Amino acid sequence: MPPGLDNLSHIVVLMMENRSFDHMLGSLTAVNPQIDGITGPLSNPDTTGALVKPQPLAEFQGQLDPDPDHHFPAVDLQIFGGDTSPGRVANMQGFVKSYFNQQEDVGHSQKIMYYFAQNQLPVLTTLALEFAVFNRWFASIPGPTICNRAFAHYGTSFGRVDMNPIDIIEPFKSIYDRLINAHPKHTAKVYYYDTTSSTMEVANLLQNEPELFGTYQQFLSDCSAGNLPDYFFIEPNYSDHDTDSGEEVASDQHPDHNVQAGELFIASVYNAIKQNPNLWQSTVLLVVYDEHGGIYDHVVPPACTPDQFTASANDTGTGQPFAFDRLGVRVPAILISPWIPRGTVVNRVFDHASIPATITKYFLGDYSPRSPRETSADVFIEPNGPAVDPTRNLLSLAAMRTDCPDFDV
Amino acid sequence: MTLIHVPKPDVKSAMNPDRPVNALLKAQIRHLHDAERNLPLRHRTDIYINAIKTEGEAAKYMRQVTEAIHAAHEAAAAKRGRGIAIAAAADEEPPGKAPRANGIKKKRTGKRGRKT
Repeated sequence: MPPGLDNLSHIVVLMMENRSFDHMLGSLTAVNPQIDGITGPLSNPDTTGALVKPQPLAEFQGQLDPDPDHHFPAVDLQIFGGDTSPGRVANMQGFVKSYFNQQEDVGHSQKIMYYFAQNQLPVLTTLALEFAVFNRWFASIPGPTICNRAFAHYGTSFGRVDMNPIDIIEPFKSIYDRLINAHPKHTAKVYYYDTTSSTMEVANLLQNEPELFGTYQQFLSDCSAGNLPDYFFIEPNYSDHDTDSGEEVASDQHPDHNVQAGELFIASVYNAIKQNPNLWQSTVLLVVYDEHGGIYDHVVPPACTPDQFTASANDTGTGQPFAFDRLGVRVPAILISPWIPRGTVVNRVFDHASIPATITKYFLGDYSPRSPRETSADVFIEPNGPAVDPTRNLLSLAAMRTDCPDFDV
Repeated sequence: MTLIHVPKPDVKSAMNPDRPVNALLKAQIRHLHDAERNLPLRHRTDIYINAIKTEGEAAKYMRQVTEAIHAAHEAAAAKRGRGIAIAAAADEEPPGKAPRANGIKKKRTGKRGRKT
């Protein structure tokens, strides 16, 4: 059996906010052509008909204000370019038009095509080049944060495509409930940054099971003590706020929060795990973004297995119902472990339902009930056993790497 | 092993607690407000959420409600614990007394001295 899987005891997910793959990692095609980022012929028309090319002019803050629209109707426009006909074909040609709708400023609308140069994001780009980067990890829904994050925790959004609180519909359970109620019992936790930033899982988990939650400071202590749960989910700081110990800058990278603050946060999570040698060899960290935030990406989201829920035409705001049969826009996703070969590029299709699918399969094996979307989602860690498929196992090295980078935070 | 330098943002220019709340924080406030409605009255804030306009104000509200949710659960757990402790104490006989053969407790009939 592969030693990486034999050693694996902890799976960690760090979910950031609202940036597309091309925006954050598109520059890497120039370094590794296997990475499906920005290439020559890409463009989007603006409202004058002029073609706007992606350019490496993204700024850390102050550029995407107002926050680009990423609610369901806006994302529909971004993906289909404004075509609402029955036989329409997705073309990723509506990003500039969509951003124009918010301020009616042609020049400003073009900024939605900007992406970061590699040297601007030393943390994210280094991790992508050093470990496994996913070329086809999509948001679960062409819509906003809450419903997309629900897929990471429940494998479904229970029919929601918006920002309203999620009503949990039996029989589906959160990944945390599955693990802590299993026999043998597993451990699971959500680390939110602090009580002042809190969690995006408030309505469902925090108010009913606050014992599942800890702060980022507790995560750091748990790392030092080697006392981490089997599975845990880390949330960044969602707001600029004062604390008893000083000022905290938002680290979620949600426009118009500072992107460098998010880089620091990602590096600090990585360092905390890496600095404990026992954890480092037994932990896999997934860094992923919840959705694209209205920012340009060139890859058409594929169709997928419909969920058993349908959002009504009224709920979608497009005049058409949605059967959860198409994924959202592509987002950055990187899997980190010393057992992953340097420069791994994964071309299989994933979305956030892959998170509970992977955790469940790895720790619990066969489990039901799960949503149709989760059941059909691919897994990014193979279940350990005598018949691990070497073509799918990303933790494939025979010996642990000793050349993994460190970040000076 | 390569050491990658990570530039730090200029906190002075990055930090803006007066920034208007974005759609994400608005949703978070609404979710917390829903959760707050289920709290016992003594744990609720008296903050009018429609008047929250900035990230700094949003952060204060989130902190109060998040801490209140934890406090309400801790209070409930403590109460539950006390209930168990009382039940356990009732099962124990005071030292030196033999258990009653029939297991029936004698009812106290006389009044104790009234406190004044």
